[in-house]
Amino acid sequence: MATRMKLKLKTVFVLYFMVSLMGLIYALMQLGQRCDCAEHDMPKDRTISRLRGELHRLQEQMRKAEPTKLPQKLAVKPAQPTIYVITPTYTRFVQKAELTRLAQTFLHVPQLHWILVEDSPHKTPLVSGFLASSGLAYTHLHTPTPRDRKLQEGDPSWLKPRGAEQRNEGLRWLREDRRGQPGADTQLGVVYFADDDNTYSLQLFEEMRGTQRVSVWPVGLVGGMRYERPVVEGGKVVRFHTGWRPSRPFPLDMAGFAVSLKLVIANQDACFDGDAPMGFLESSFLQGLVTMDELEPKAENCTKVLVWHTRTEKPKMKREEALQKQGLGSDTAVEDNDPTHLQAL
Amino acid sequence: MPKRRDILAIVLIVLPWTLLITVWHQGAINPLLAARKASPWHHHRIHESRRDSRNTFTLKKPCSAENNKDIVEVVHTEYVYSRPPPWAAVLPTLHVVTPTYSRPVQKAELTRLANTFLHVPNLHWILVEDSPRRTPLVIRLLRETSLNYTHLNVETPRNYKLRGDTRDPRIPRGTMQRNLALRWLRETFSSNNRHSQPGIVYFADDDNTYSLELFEEMRSTRKVSVWPVAFVGGLRYESPKVNTLGMVYGWKTVFDPHRPFAIDMAGFAVNLRLILFKPQAYFKLRGVKGGYQESSLLRELVTLNDLEPKAANCTKVLVWHTRTEKPVLVNEGKKGFTDSNVEI
Repeated sequence: MATRMKLKLKTVFVLYFMVSLMGLIYALMQLGQRCDCAEHDMPKDRTISRLRGELHRLQEQMRKAEPTKLPQKLAVKPAQPTIYVITPTYTRFVQKAELTRLAQTFLHVPQLHWILVEDSPHKTPLVSGFLASSGLAYTHLHTPTPRDRKLQEGDPSWLKPRGAEQRNEGLRWLREDRRGQPGADTQLGVVYFADDDNTYSLQLFEEMRGTQRVSVWPVGLVGGMRYERPVVEGGKVVRFHTGWRPSRPFPLDMAGFAVSLKLVIANQDACFDGDAPMGFLESSFLQGLVTMDELEPKAENCTKVLVWHTRTEKPKMKREEALQKQGLGSDTAVEDNDPTHLQAL
Repeated sequence: MPKRRDILAIVLIVLPWTLLITVWHQGAINPLLAARKASPWHHHRIHESRRDSRNTFTLKKPCSAENNKDIVEVVHTEYVYSRPPPWAAVLPTLHVVTPTYSRPVQKAELTRLANTFLHVPNLHWILVEDSPRRTPLVIRLLRETSLNYTHLNVETPRNYKLRGDTRDPRIPRGTMQRNLALRWLRETFSSNNRHSQPGIVYFADDDNTYSLELFEEMRSTRKVSVWPVAFVGGLRYESPKVNTLGMVYGWKTVFDPHRPFAIDMAGFAVNLRLILFKPQAYFKLRGVKGGYQESSLLRELVTLNDLEPKAANCTKVLVWHTRTEKPVLVNEGKKGFTDSNVEI
């Protein structure tokens, strides 16, 4: 019995010894190797690395796509109507800022010609320099507003219509320029009156490009309301939704319509009446050109606001004036001028 | 002798078992542990998310106690790499932080701002709404511009907001939104190798006007660069004073020129590395005097000597602090004359 047990024990020993030896060898072999780290990775890290891989792929794709895109962009579409934007402007502190951000919008619009008309007896260096470096196709004009029509210091902005003479000057130049070039193609274009303090979306310009006679759309933040708009039924303008004097022939804002170049040239005498009563400036121009049912509604049947009648605050210059009196004003050589301020001196 | 044999036997029996258990321990226990770690975190995240309205990408790292009290946020990131401006791996990214809030002119302001930014290469727009939720107006606008953007939001608690529209200079506006953007930048970029992500941080309010030249001037910022800003401090422009060595030594302002940094928010830019290097630097929210908000951040980042003057040694005006008039909406009346479904 004892020997059998002893034998049994011996085999147990041997067995155990072999097992432990094999376990030791296995553990030693595992020592140098990399572990399977999938469990240690956080799922977020995995997502990040996957996204990065995708990112690089997409960037590569984009880089490959760019060279083929460019020729398409540069290729000028044949006979795409040019948009002639007539902007009256006048010297004041915020003028350069307004023109800067206006130009930044216009630079995105293809086939745009900017007609900038200064309310001034001569071209100012600020505007000349600005236009030259803007990168836009432009025409720089100027015409002063007669003193009796001009807003005086302290007048509310709505007292007298502004910019009429300048817009007329723009129209005059345009008509004269086209007169020297007869031909159907040169009459292809759209005229838009854009004030320098409004805000324009890029979509607006594409909407107006197809104007045949006069197209209209809503304007935001005008007429004492969130927006003013023509009311469209059956694809035609039937009336105007406005809170201020809706009985006007065309209760629109200057930024709410565009006229085809053909119509402008065909009606050589159509212009803005500087003596028109408040709010009738647009009507004075449009009355001879078109009737309400001929208007072409844009911006999804006049339901989308693509232009806003923003106005910029006059910056407070109290400290500047105080400094000037002491002879310590900020350097006027740094461009940022305002003639009324100089007159005060 | 039997005793030794017994001991030997016991050792020989115990040894392999310990080895086996060790090997098994290493292989099996760790996955279990990882799973167990995840569940309390996940639980915590769910608990947090009940406070938020929506979660697409929650910040996991613990916030500092102060920020936790003030900020309840939802973070959403979308990178849109499509049409121009082109993206060059060599140019430092300009991270432009814009706080915004809902008012009638908001869409107009953001539209023309986007029109400006579309000209700037390697620009990343971080738009932070002062709102409990991301508004559909801004979501749609950002998607349509095809800019590279990040859309965040945090609501300023009522006692910090301006009452009505009166301009009370003692309560800084947009502070919480800018701080959230700084925090987002630190969360997003700290884990990567800093040298591979050069960036410049610029705080651009949505009603100012920026020239394209400005963005190229700020791209070479090493620490903090400064330049003149028009229409601030009741002057035509405020600017840093630069000596003949090209170093900033003072401020040409009338309003409190002895502030540590007498400069407007639009008048400086900070290198992203510096933001990451000083993770405690934020805009001070409470107890900030009018005009000192910029100083509250800059004094934690840099000293006067480290400032880099740009714009031809601070002689050119490349940014204007324009403000848009509040539109007169008298004709809306009480019920609202216009269709409120039409977005302006």
